[in-house]
Amino acid sequence: MGLEYVRISPGFERYMPKDYVDLVKYGQFGRQVDVQQLGQFKELVEEHPMCAGCFMAYFIRIFYASLPNPEDTIVIGTAGCARLALSQAAVPFVYGNYGDTNAVASGLKRALTIRFPDKVKDVVVIAGDGGLIDIGFGMTMHSWFRREKFTTIMVDNEVYGNTGGQESGMSPKGVQLKMAPKGKQFDKINAVELAKVAGCVYVAKLAPTNPKRIAKTIRRAILAARHFGPTFIHAYTSCNIEYSIPTEKVLEDARKREKQDFAFYEWMTDEVREYFEEIEKQSQEVKV
Amino acid sequence: MYYVAEVNESECAKYNCKQCVLFCPEPNTLMYHNTKHTAWVNYSRCKGCAICVYVCSDLLKRNCIQMVMMTTGD
Repeated sequence: MGLEYVRISPGFERYMPKDYVDLVKYGQFGRQVDVQQLGQFKELVEEHPMCAGCFMAYFIRIFYASLPNPEDTIVIGTAGCARLALSQAAVPFVYGNYGDTNAVASGLKRALTIRFPDKVKDVVVIAGDGGLIDIGFGMTMHSWFRREKFTTIMVDNEVYGNTGGQESGMSPKGVQLKMAPKGKQFDKINAVELAKVAGCVYVAKLAPTNPKRIAKTIRRAILAARHFGPTFIHAYTSCNIEYSIPTEKVLEDARKREKQDFAFYEWMTDEVREYFEEIEKQSQEVKV
Repeated sequence: MYYVAEVNESECAKYNCKQCVLFCPEPNTLMYHNTKHTAWVNYSRCKGCAICVYVCSDLLKRNCIQMVMMTTGD
């Protein structure tokens, strides 16, 4: 997109919808916001039709607030719950067919690199466990094998949420779902280890209990993808409908799962670690 | 009738914590007022999930938010 497309042409301010004017005046475009300032600026994502208390919606809200360069970012999603909120944001959104998000992102990133050689354009894939690890498994893995430079974020709700509750490869073993009445027979796929083996340079796993840490992880994943290669974040975003979690207990559930199998985990290659250390040193020097 | 969150502004202004704002899943709904130093709710956007009540009452023991029934004009 670019900043000149965001600004309203002179004389047209009073004809534009109020939400858009607010977005340009008090939004994130052209300035760096901190996730701690949420609630004090106009967010990129607008009202969306996701369920009350959905923590995937919460993760997406934090994701948009932590983008390092929203005017030069393209988000790619696929069928599933996440696209309901992703498509309501002021960031270009490409809707891939089910399973081909990472193939679309590979082509898009290469084309953007040729079209805008002097600019940085970030490409981010956000899809569910079905889109990335079940149906899109082949294309996800091959984009990592080819070391394509973009970020993949899996919002893992451990179920096919909006088609009635079928088990997915990421559902935990033994869990009983509406369309899996005998309980799941197999283990949860270890997506983080797969990503490490397949060649990702930055891999993280988290439960959304700490907004500051989510923001830091997302920014690191996007910055590492600019220079080094594929990056991957595995985020636990519970489905309160299919797992019958009362909405007010969703955060409690996330905190519980964080203590069990979603403890914060971050892995990166040595060159990425050096790069981050250098960046953090520079930003400290600026502060001093 | 809608089930929405309501912030007790005079109680909330004592703390300056913003934690509920950081945990609301809805964008532009639970906002923070910079000069009054209190959270406030955009009632037409609130879906009534009560995560903010969990954060304020159960985690922080501050009890500044409660769920109320909101009636519309008609």
